Amino acid sequence: MATFVVLAVVMVVGALGVVLLKQPVHAALSLVGTLLALAVTYVTLEAHFLAAVQVIVYAGAIMVLFLFVLMLLNVQDAGPRRSLPGLRWAAYAAAVVTATAIAVVAFWDGRPAPDPAIVSLHLQGGSAGGIGDALFGELLLAFHLVGVLLLTGVIGAVALVQRRAESAHGAPKGGGLPGGRTAAAGGARALGSGGPR
Amino acid sequence: MNVPTDAYVALSGVLFAIGAMGVLVRRSAIMVFLSVELMLNAANLAIVAYARHWAGFDALAGLTGQTVVFVVLAVAAAEVAVGLAILIAIFRDRASTDVDGLAEVRL
Repeated sequence: MATFVVLAVVMVVGALGVVLLKQPVHAALSLVGTLLALAVTYVTLEAHFLAAVQVIVYAGAIMVLFLFVLMLLNVQDAGPRRSLPGLRWAAYAAAVVTATAIAVVAFWDGRPAPDPAIVSLHLQGGSAGGIGDALFGELLLAFHLVGVLLLTGVIGAVALVQRRAESAHGAPKGGGLPGGRTAAAGGARALGSGGPR
Repeated sequence: MNVPTDAYVALSGVLFAIGAMGVLVRRSAIMVFLSVELMLNAANLAIVAYARHWAGFDALAGLTGQTVVFVVLAVAAAEVAVGLAILIAIFRDRASTDVDGLAEVRL
């Protein structure tokens, strides 16, 4: 129980840092701390493979991508410029009410925790082998769909960036685009600066 | 010693609410995105907690729950890549990611 309390405090403080810290880089690093504490929480929940993946993919790859973009764009907090003065405090109050309501409802249930011996026997520590069995058995369709989704994401990201690379190397000719690239460039033009104004 | 599932779910709810608060109060689109990541992870924590709970009754249910979290991680990775690319495109056009003035992405 002590482990859970320490982890919960670390995660809630880190989450509040994500929301409240002024500097975007500080907020991102605060989220890294929260995600690492979440990985430790996965270990306490007998999900060891997920804990490793959480550290590698989330705290590693995704947050590095976030920090890279933050430093590339040099995002600054522009200071208070409010049109609705009470909105911030209304949002805080709504969040606190929602959090306490969900927490109370969750605690109200009061089912006992499962027997840890049976859980350990069934989950086998959340090993990669067991997860692989479920992934290629019951969730095979989800596996295929995620593959398609990742391919779509790669193509979309490349299409968005490629338009920028062309316009950086001189004015793009209207009809000079090679065949097969026009669809992606047309999709990106709605967001880009090279489109007709 | 054996922490009940309700405690994990309550922690997940609190984290989700804090993330929702971040989406509401932050003005930079990147900060909104960061808060959405927090909400995704809160949901993942709830799924893993319930997976442990149901593993007390059925081995396949527990492992399937953990695998769902694995799939959600892959989806989140794709979402971050495309979302950050869109944000960079918007930033190069407007030199700002303030969500108050983002009318171009409207259909």
